Amino acid sequence: MANASTLPEAAPPVRGMTLSMMVAMAILGGWLFLALTGPLIAPHEPDAIDIMNMLSPPSAEHWFGTDQVGRDIFSRVLFASRVDLFLCVIGVLPPLLIGTTIGLLSGYFGGVVDSLFMRVYDLTVAFPFFVLVLAIVGVLGPGLVNFIIALTLVGWVSYARLVRAEVLTIRESEYIQAAKCLGYPPVAILTRHVLPNAIGPIIAYAVSDAVLVMLAGASFGFLGMGAQPPLAEWGVMIADGQAFVQQAWWICLFPGLAAISLGLGFAFLGDGLGQMQRRQATA
Amino acid sequence: MSRTEDVTRPLLEVENLTVGLGEFDAVKAVSFHLQPGEILGIVGESGSGKSVTCRAAMGLLPGAARASGRVTLEGRDLLTLGEADWCAIRGRDIGMIFQNPASHLDPLRRIGKQIAAPMVRHLGIGRREGMRRAIQLLDDVGIREPEKRARSYPHEFSGGMKQRAMIAAAIGCGPKLLIADEPTTALDVTVQARILGLLKDLNRERGLAIILISHDLGVVADICSRVVVMRHGEVVEQGPIDDVINRPQHPYTRLLIDSQPSRKTYPGTKTEPEQAAPLLSVEKLSVSFPVRRDLIGGLASNGESFLALDGIDLQIAAGETVGIVGESGSGKSTLARAIIRQNRPSEGAIRLDGQDVHALGGDALTGFRRRVQMVFQNPYDSLNPRMTIAEAVAEPIWRHGLADRRTAQMQANELLEMVELPRALGDRMPRQLSGGQCQRVGLARALALKPQLLIADEITSALDVTTQAQILELLLRLQRERALTLLYISHDLSVVSGICQRVYVFKGGRIVENGSARQVLSAPQDPYTQELVRSLAQLGPVNPAPVFLPV
Amino acid sequence: MALLQLIARRLIQLAGVLLGISIVTFLLLHMAPGDPARLLAGDRASAETIAVIRSQYGLDLPLWRQFLTYLMNLFAGDIGQSLRFQRPVSQLIQQFMWPTLFLTVYVVCLAVPPTVALAIMSARKPGGTADQVIRLIGIAGLTIPVFWLGIMMSRLFGVSLGWFPVSGYGVGISEHLHHLFLPALSTAIWLVPVLTQSLRAALIEKTTADFVTAARAQGASEREIFWRTILPNAVLPTLNLLGVMVAFMIGGAIIVETIYAVPGLGTLMIGALLGRDYYVVQGLTLVFAMSTVLVTLAVDLLTAFIDPRVRL
Repeated sequence: MANASTLPEAAPPVRGMTLSMMVAMAILGGWLFLALTGPLIAPHEPDAIDIMNMLSPPSAEHWFGTDQVGRDIFSRVLFASRVDLFLCVIGVLPPLLIGTTIGLLSGYFGGVVDSLFMRVYDLTVAFPFFVLVLAIVGVLGPGLVNFIIALTLVGWVSYARLVRAEVLTIRESEYIQAAKCLGYPPVAILTRHVLPNAIGPIIAYAVSDAVLVMLAGASFGFLGMGAQPPLAEWGVMIADGQAFVQQAWWICLFPGLAAISLGLGFAFLGDGLGQMQRRQATA
Repeated sequence: MSRTEDVTRPLLEVENLTVGLGEFDAVKAVSFHLQPGEILGIVGESGSGKSVTCRAAMGLLPGAARASGRVTLEGRDLLTLGEADWCAIRGRDIGMIFQNPASHLDPLRRIGKQIAAPMVRHLGIGRREGMRRAIQLLDDVGIREPEKRARSYPHEFSGGMKQRAMIAAAIGCGPKLLIADEPTTALDVTVQARILGLLKDLNRERGLAIILISHDLGVVADICSRVVVMRHGEVVEQGPIDDVINRPQHPYTRLLIDSQPSRKTYPGTKTEPEQAAPLLSVEKLSVSFPVRRDLIGGLASNGESFLALDGIDLQIAAGETVGIVGESGSGKSTLARAIIRQNRPSEGAIRLDGQDVHALGGDALTGFRRRVQMVFQNPYDSLNPRMTIAEAVAEPIWRHGLADRRTAQMQANELLEMVELPRALGDRMPRQLSGGQCQRVGLARALALKPQLLIADEITSALDVTTQAQILELLLRLQRERALTLLYISHDLSVVSGICQRVYVFKGGRIVENGSARQVLSAPQDPYTQELVRSLAQLGPVNPAPVFLPV
Repeated sequence: MALLQLIARRLIQLAGVLLGISIVTFLLLHMAPGDPARLLAGDRASAETIAVIRSQYGLDLPLWRQFLTYLMNLFAGDIGQSLRFQRPVSQLIQQFMWPTLFLTVYVVCLAVPPTVALAIMSARKPGGTADQVIRLIGIAGLTIPVFWLGIMMSRLFGVSLGWFPVSGYGVGISEHLHHLFLPALSTAIWLVPVLTQSLRAALIEKTTADFVTAARAQGASEREIFWRTILPNAVLPTLNLLGVMVAFMIGGAIIVETIYAVPGLGTLMIGALLGRDYYVVQGLTLVFAMSTVLVTLAVDLLTAFIDPRVRL
């Protein structure tokens, strides 16, 4: 601790990247690159059926082998990365935005809105997340769009709850009292004083949520409730390969590894963000 | 020191103790000793190394710390002990109590068990006997209904009771030495006086030697026979308490003594107020909070509520400095928040120049915001951690349209200069500043709108005593220069009476006494005020009785 | 006494949640695009059949009347009729629930011991080698898709090595244990990292707690401090998480059961979803929600039992 009578030295920058952060950047950057340039790199058309080369093991021609109708697994994994990466972003953003807005209002103003939100929250957590999303998708009809809709309907609540908890603490802090006392308009207090101090944990949660969304997306594809064949999606590919897993393990193996590596990217990003926040808090 | 003490072997001897934490030495070559049955005070401000010194004597340093030198208890070197030997000494020969009793009790275990545990451990007695003695100890430390209370959990105890329970646990095995690390800092003043009294009794009746660590020279002077003054990890001065206080050798000791609110006199505040209509008047104000029921949320509020303020009447004339004194829960902060419209009155009114503050709206409200401002208690919490301090001071100026953003920035720099902060600090974040610097920023921000009335709510309670003196001097200089009306709220009667003309004493949401500062301090009428005045741990009169003076 | 009050309060709270659950499940059926009667009757039904179904199921009544009927039926224990099986949904659930329950308990038993061991190893020296390795494995474990892991393990341990059966449930406890080992393991592999992280964080936080310093200052040995002070205090947050996770797992069972062809509620749910057997979907959603509420209640009561502060 610096003592009171001397000025502390200019604080060291807390921007230093942690190892987790660098690993995350490398993985996510790599996948983004592959997703963007997929059509240029892919050696085969992802949907090209080749009856002559059904279930052929990994080789120089087909790096990851081929599936039961002779489609090139490597190319399909590449193309599928576009779907799954897209899923991660589009599955997280709407709940994040809706949840943050509602959480901010509910936490800051309290009152009826807050009571109402808490009832909705109690109700939503009464359902197992997966079951509720599955039931909604089942009723709306299988497909990616309905999956995202169901995910948003259920997912915003956790974000709102998290933001609300942050806001409840921040609302009581003296700099918010000071801002009110200085007569700042509520919108200014919310956007300039509350939100910037509440957002850190939310971003970290969103990143870890991206892993869950990706896994959920793949699971729904696997169950036939998400992306629909013949669209290349990792979960769908694994579902396709399940029947042939005894003869051709490679059909399932590679999409799974791809999913794991993308998940690792997000998980490390979340880990790194958490480390940086802790470091900032103690700096 | 040069004084020849009685020749008995010291109980505890610390010689050349140095404790390194990472790169930096928290304690540098500290030496002192303690006789059996003596009460020794160690006084110093935050970062002086006083706590680290005592943790070293208890073997409680964090793993990364290195300690060198010698610490001997009755001739036995403690620093070379292994963990098992330490476990046999801690709680048996040396007991320790801490600053925050609430967090030092295990929330999941009953009080009685926690007090019995060290005795069961060290004395080899059974659980039942341990419980019996624990109840006796609770009785000894002045807890009523000890049998029932032994079955309570910590959260059912008040702060003072928790500290008594901690003391009971520490003295159960009959240790020779008790280390008390800021034992009363987290407590209200009247409770503080009672806990200090208990320590004194234990010392007298059981011959218990005590090391009392405190930032508060007044507390140390109250019960200690000798004192060690520490600063930046070094001992700057030590000796009998009267010598140190009346004839301090080191300039830092002198600064410390001069900074004591009871010793310090602040110039130019004692002018008589003009007889005019009051600037602010509080009429029969009551504020109540609903007792929260988590049941069906806010839907079923069954009228149960807690009365934080109960019919308060109070006037402040323009240019006056008015103080409010009270312990935690007395409603003094509720009043401040009600004045700045953050608590709604349930009854009564607050009027500024005759206008009901809570009926204001639109431009009138904006005008009110410019006239009444507030400085808050917690230096770091009162500034947005994501804004530079120059931004924080400039924001009110441009938000109120008093200047464009660039001009506001320049005015902010002038304000920072006015509160004696170097210009270069403007780009810093709050966490890069010291606590005193943050309070200066808070003051600058509050003055940015050129208010008439400034409310200061416990603005120095989180600061060291020398910093407190500086901030108070700054506050009073600004008050003179800007003709501010000041409402100063504090738990510390000596500070309030030192700077205010009139004082209101709050207790349980009511005013129990009011009058001129001198009158309240010297001739308190209400029993509570009398207790408050008695509880003041003071250094005594500026000129001590001639008995102590060497001829 | 205070505990009884808490239970009473939670039960009142529960009533509201249960009402909400029934509303949501009721509305679920009405979210389906198109005419519910047509959906119930199937694509090839004639106009007359649809009309019959409409009046038979009360679909021509206003929504609130339909909801009241639904609520009354719920109280009577009637949660509808499966179109595919032509049997009451409640009967179906009774038949399919045991494998799922067994699997859930199995997973918890498999997951808790390694969680405690790993968390203690990790927290003993935060930032040390063991901690870093456990943390990395934990991060990896979280990102493995359970269904993929299931397929890969059934291929390796089931097909190639022949150690475990890869489908079904068997007869008798020992066969259940054998059959459900792989499904339980693949779920536990995902669950352990989540719980370990929580317990580790709590342990580390409590290790530096003030009351631990105080216990040390009273001469307690490190072993005693760990078992009597740190662990009980650290278990509380993890217990809550375990409750949430069990609820999560009841839902997650859907995937594992599908892969290993376990005749449980998950398999029933997927079959119903793909076969558009909406009353079964509705009934199962209701049952899943009810069991989540029960698990949460159980955890709350257990927490209150350990932590005196909750009993206010």
